[in-house]
Amino acid sequence: MNDKKKINLRQASVPIMFIIICIFCIPLSGLSPKMLINEIITRMGRNAFLILSLLIPIMAGMGLNFGMTLGAMAAEIALILVCDWQIVGVPGMVLAAIISVPISVLLGIFCGKILNRAKGREMITSYIMAFFINGIYQIVVLYLMGKVIPIKHSSIKLPRGYGIRNTVSLLSMRQKLDNMLAINVAGVKIPLLTFIIIAIMCLVIVWFRRTKLGQDMRAVGQDMEVARDAGINVERTRIISIVISTVLAGFGMIIYLQNMGNIATYTAHSQIGMFCIAALLVGGASVDKASIGNVFLGVVLFHTMFIVAPRAGAYITGDSMIGEYFRVFVSYAVITVALIMYETNKRKAKSAASMKLKEAQDEE
Amino acid sequence: MKDKIMDSLREFGLPRLIITGFLVLLLIMAPFVGADLPTQISNIINRFSWNGILVLAMVPMVHSGCGLNFGLPLGIISGLLGATISIEMGFTGGMSFVVAILVATPFALVFGALYGWLLNKIKGGEMMIATYVGFSSVSLMCMMWLVLPYHSPNMVWGLAGKGLRTTISLEGYFDQALASIARIEIGNISIPTGTLIFFAILAFAIWAFLHTKTGTAMTAVGSNPVFAKAAGINVDRIRMLSVVMSTWLAAIGILVYEQGFGFIQLYMAPFYMALPAVSAILIGGASVNKASIMNVIVGTILFQGIVTMTPTVMNNMIHMDMSEVIRIIASMGMILFALTRKTEASR
Amino acid sequence: MKNKRQLIFRAAAIAVILVIAVIMFIIGRGHTIYFDNVSADYEGKSYDAYYKVTVIKDGEKVAKLAEDERGMTDLMGQTLSMTLEITDEKGQEPHSHKVSMPIPYGIDGIVINVPELMAGLPSQAYMSEFVPIATQEEDTDEEVVTDEFVMESDI
Repeated sequence: MNDKKKINLRQASVPIMFIIICIFCIPLSGLSPKMLINEIITRMGRNAFLILSLLIPIMAGMGLNFGMTLGAMAAEIALILVCDWQIVGVPGMVLAAIISVPISVLLGIFCGKILNRAKGREMITSYIMAFFINGIYQIVVLYLMGKVIPIKHSSIKLPRGYGIRNTVSLLSMRQKLDNMLAINVAGVKIPLLTFIIIAIMCLVIVWFRRTKLGQDMRAVGQDMEVARDAGINVERTRIISIVISTVLAGFGMIIYLQNMGNIATYTAHSQIGMFCIAALLVGGASVDKASIGNVFLGVVLFHTMFIVAPRAGAYITGDSMIGEYFRVFVSYAVITVALIMYETNKRKAKSAASMKLKEAQDEE
Repeated sequence: MKDKIMDSLREFGLPRLIITGFLVLLLIMAPFVGADLPTQISNIINRFSWNGILVLAMVPMVHSGCGLNFGLPLGIISGLLGATISIEMGFTGGMSFVVAILVATPFALVFGALYGWLLNKIKGGEMMIATYVGFSSVSLMCMMWLVLPYHSPNMVWGLAGKGLRTTISLEGYFDQALASIARIEIGNISIPTGTLIFFAILAFAIWAFLHTKTGTAMTAVGSNPVFAKAAGINVDRIRMLSVVMSTWLAAIGILVYEQGFGFIQLYMAPFYMALPAVSAILIGGASVNKASIMNVIVGTILFQGIVTMTPTVMNNMIHMDMSEVIRIIASMGMILFALTRKTEASR
Repeated sequence: MKNKRQLIFRAAAIAVILVIAVIMFIIGRGHTIYFDNVSADYEGKSYDAYYKVTVIKDGEKVAKLAEDERGMTDLMGQTLSMTLEITDEKGQEPHSHKVSMPIPYGIDGIVINVPELMAGLPSQAYMSEFVPIATQEEDTDEEVVTDEFVMESDI
């Protein structure tokens, strides 16, 4: 009982620290509450779906899925194609989502298979995996598109005749989803449809946890050997969890990019995994436990920090760069601390278990 | 017999085979597509001399079972501190290099000790945490480079008079400090003898160290920590020592790199520096828990070979510069391959 | 038995998704429509531009054209429905016309000549493809940045 409380307090420590940072920085940033709330709502709609995609691999005990970038890349390829075919608005997004699925599934299966061969170091492997697939992505987008994959419009093609430009404009889709059903509450724009989609996703995740597959995943997450003895196909379950995560990340990326209104072809995905993971951890999640509540708390706290830190930094030091570096540092530091906490807890649990085993043996 | 060949092939690994084959192919192709082979070889030797020690910095940690040192940026930062402080103190020429090493050393020892203490707390999860310790320290230093009281006009932003520049030229300081010692020039080939000798000394020192009593204890800790503990070895202390050594080597490594390259790169530059070094040693035949000096030398030559050869050869062959992509796929594929190998886990 | 049912379900699901994709292809196709209020000749007859034309689409004023002017709007789908409010001469009351026409799927940009349209000419008369003129400076090479560490300024 006491132990449980201690762990809870430890988990709450990161959100509390962030609340303190935010409380300290908000007045210094000089942002009006209305502006701040507007920004947070926008960013919540933009990022929440992406972060939700991280939950399922955590459930399956595979840690933070740095490989969510794979889904983001699949979504970008789909969006570039849809953009070239001139399918616009929400139908364009739906079509991009459909196209991204087979790509995400393939990448997810590949990633899952590799991760199955690297049990115990899933995170570093998925992290390197993101870089590796980024190389493949560059081959596709920089060399195959326009040569093998037909690209018609010169507005997205490099002048040399193949490859995609550094930025692809998504003006035809820009905030089309957000503006559909958008309501205005006291000057704050709420993208209702986006939130409805996110809410549906949350319900799906809640439902999924109760299905047979969801239960299997939790069993695998708790103890692979026990799960295997219980007749669960551990490898397959793990692959499925990564596939689902990759597909969801792809959808999330489409929502993210329609809000942004353009694709930075070669860089949009590179940091997305890191920021989503940092946000989730700020919400109080750990490497082996994360809930939907963590996602939303994380988005609010992390993005408040993200908005106010540069301004507050500029106000204190007179140099806006310090704030920018500060928020990057905080993102990395949060992940580092969470990883350290996870590993030390794991070790403690392990040594406690072996102590018990020893005691039991001694009694015999 | 056939099985044996297959076994050794599997041991060697398909990615490694492909990469080696690719380099051999590049070397053969080079003269045909009109690339100047001596220049290419000279480039490879030079780049080897810049990067060798950074790759060497992997060895101690791999030996003690701490895995691949993704936390290399931490050591690099110590080196950067050494370099900038040495210039700030007004040293010039070769002397600034010596002072840079002297200043970097205490930083590396302190950072390395903290880092080693941390890694001892989280045995089994070293690589991921090392990666993020590296990232955190680089981004923390990004703020520090702006805030720390540097004044040397050659290093700070001209207008503001404070805050270090992103790249600092080493001209007049330790540019080519080692490379210019006994440099051999034959036609198009230029060999930085001094740097190579410096690398050889360090490599030999590490080799010799690994054969001392402490060194063999380190290998024992890496290959079988339970046995090592039973044999009365202080596992934590040995691991700590290996981390400190790796960090110090990284600090020296970046200084050697800079003297060859001619510039100090600050801020986000050290961010991804661990990855090429990691893939280089893996290409050379190391695994997550096994690495030798030979792996370092072979790996660095192979890796730098690909880095320098692909742009010219590929460009001349198919008129597309795919070198960047090839480098990413080759090095990341190599790391992935190593991570998926079944190793006698060190926990 | 169970396997067979599963297979049918999967096939059906994939079929539904494919149908949705096809529907998206059709209803989501975007076009850019340009309106010209310009005098034009067709088969020897000339059609004069109006004094003023206002184009209203989905209850929104999308273009207001004086003589010899061009306006544009975006269109999703293959049917263009709009209301044209036309003023023939200065000082006259405008008269409005509801117009609806199919837009060919394969063309991105379409120019519609309003006087010809109002004269009831066939579609090949008043419709023409808009061909963008590639500007010279746009064709300069673009450096592709792939490996640089970007500090995401906004997420």
